[in-house]
Amino acid sequence: MRARVLREVGAMALRDYLRTPDAVFWTYGFPLIMALVLGLAFGERGAQPSRVAVVAGAEVLHAQLEPVAGDAVQIEIDTAERAQRRLVLGSIDAVLSGSLDAPVVTIDPSRPDAELAELRLESALRRARGELADAVQPRIESVDEPGGRYIDFLLPGLIGINLMGAGIYGVGYNVVQMRVKNLLRRIWVTPVGRVEFLVAFLSSRLLLALLPPFVILAFGMLAFGVPVAPGAWAAIAVLVLAGAAAFSGFGLLLASRARTLETLSGLMNVVMLPMWLCGGAFFSNDRFPAVLQPLVRALPLTWLTDGLRSAMLGATDVLAAWPATALLLAFAAATTTLAGRLFRWA
Amino acid sequence: MTRTGELAIDVCGLRKVYRGRREVVAVAELDLQVERGEVFGLLGPNGAGKTTTVEICEGLVEPTAGDVRILGRRWSDDPRAIRQRIGVSLQETRPDARYGQLSGGQRQRLAVATALAGRPELLFLDEPTTGLDPQSRRSLWEVVRSFRAAGGTVLLTTHYMDEAAVLCDRLMIVDHGRQIALGTPRELIASLGAGHVVELEAAGLAGRVDLGRVAGTEGVVECELVGDRLVATVERPHRVVPDLLRIVEATGLPLDGLATRHTSLEDVFVHLTGRHLRDGQEAS
Ligand SMILES: Nc1ncnc2c1ncn2[C@@H]1O[C@H](COP(=O)(O)OP(=O)(O)O)[C@@H](O)[C@H]1O
Ligand SMILES: [Mg+2]
Repeated sequence: MRARVLREVGAMALRDYLRTPDAVFWTYGFPLIMALVLGLAFGERGAQPSRVAVVAGAEVLHAQLEPVAGDAVQIEIDTAERAQRRLVLGSIDAVLSGSLDAPVVTIDPSRPDAELAELRLESALRRARGELADAVQPRIESVDEPGGRYIDFLLPGLIGINLMGAGIYGVGYNVVQMRVKNLLRRIWVTPVGRVEFLVAFLSSRLLLALLPPFVILAFGMLAFGVPVAPGAWAAIAVLVLAGAAAFSGFGLLLASRARTLETLSGLMNVVMLPMWLCGGAFFSNDRFPAVLQPLVRALPLTWLTDGLRSAMLGATDVLAAWPATALLLAFAAATTTLAGRLFRWA
Repeated sequence: MTRTGELAIDVCGLRKVYRGRREVVAVAELDLQVERGEVFGLLGPNGAGKTTTVEICEGLVEPTAGDVRILGRRWSDDPRAIRQRIGVSLQETRPDARYGQLSGGQRQRLAVATALAGRPELLFLDEPTTGLDPQSRRSLWEVVRSFRAAGGTVLLTTHYMDEAAVLCDRLMIVDHGRQIALGTPRELIASLGAGHVVELEAAGLAGRVDLGRVAGTEGVVECELVGDRLVATVERPHRVVPDLLRIVEATGLPLDGLATRHTSLEDVFVHLTGRHLRDGQEAS
């Protein structure tokens, strides 16, 4: 062990690290961003009210609870079916039904907020009955039947993530790789036109991207019994196609000028990371504070995962999926057109 | 459509300056006329501007100034119409490309084959044989010859003078982005005024030989000392060699070597620039 060798090799490793912006980003930037975003989503829940939907038909319960609820519980009325779905989607924390004497609280035990909501509801119910009355323990039901579990929530998110990767990575990385390896120049010198090339390349990548979502879906259905509403297939197919087009266009846009894979990887981090975290793939976007809502709602991945999720839970037939589909297709058209203009062979 | 007799490539007043942190004049000033049906070679050392010139002709690089007509058309008129009639083999930049499993020779032949795929009238080959073994080079030369025999036109670059000599109908020697000579290989060599080179070598010759006496010898057109080697361009070696031998003998040094050869394009380049064609090539 020679001290000078240790010093020089050590210094080399250090310089190498500092000269690799990617490494610095993943060791400092990434965890801090994760902490910030997840903190916003899951942080001060105690300070925020638990959101509870009282099912239609139990309005009496709503009226009894309202005056004693306080700031900790936020109560609204919704239909039983919608309330159930919102619970699954994570936009409310509990559903209350039954009567003051025989209350039923439905929660999703896999969610971190469920227990707090349950406790708060119990104490609100106690106050509503008056301190002197006999305590009545509400019946607790959990939504762990197919359709209400985390896996049911997660699967559309994974499909969204998959389509995002297929588009941004599958198109973007490959185009830049072809540019770096001088392959694009070789095509440039042939009579193949720019638009012809881009259309052909995008189409074939789009076709490739269409299959994996259905494989993921089939796996979820077979392995975990994830339910797919019978009428949902058309809507799912349309959304998958629109999502693949949107992210392929996005990938092409990112790759249109990048001259090195490092440049591209930087661009990909910038756009993919926010979508991983705020695209509604792993947890509901409703968790973000109201001020951030316009931002997370503006992410294409949010449109896709929300659309797929509603479709799978049966809330959406093809027609009802059109806003998400239209947004995705518009995004696809905009990014592809822009990419076509910016594209450089070399 | 181009009329027969029209030039395949007609470039006037070409100039290309790369502006970056440092301005690089890749092509200073160049005119280039390639007739239909000929194999035309751009010969020059690395960095002479050959690739830049060819890639401007191929429509890949915008010239800073100059008028470029390929098969009678300008790139700004109708790029696709030109692309349909040309074939291009780019200079190999990375040996580890996707088809890295292929040998250098296979790769180059594949590149030339793809360039020929669209039945082009005009073929651009940028250093098609650099790094190839002699056998692969020869088979590539055959491809070029049969393409020309079928009526095709070729613009190629090389820094091998033997290749330029055997393959090209006409040659332009370029250096620092300028033409320094133009003609058939035979004309260029003849321009030296003598057909042979005699080289005599003896340890310690540099300090002892009287170069003036060598230059004054009848039949010596040009002479120089390269280290301990005396290099003389001569008309008739059988007449001059005895005189040169006497001059070396007079120094009292034992002769280490004697060689005579035909003058080559290399000698033309050295004559014009004072440098060897492949100087610095190894470095890049
Ligand atoms: N894209 C570029 N940017 C800056 N300088 C360049 C570029 N391409 C070539 N050059 C420079 O222009 C000069 C001529 O290069 P090139 O045409 O490749 O010569 P050759 O093919 O004869 O070796 C060289 O000095 C080279 O470094
Ligand atoms: Mg070159």
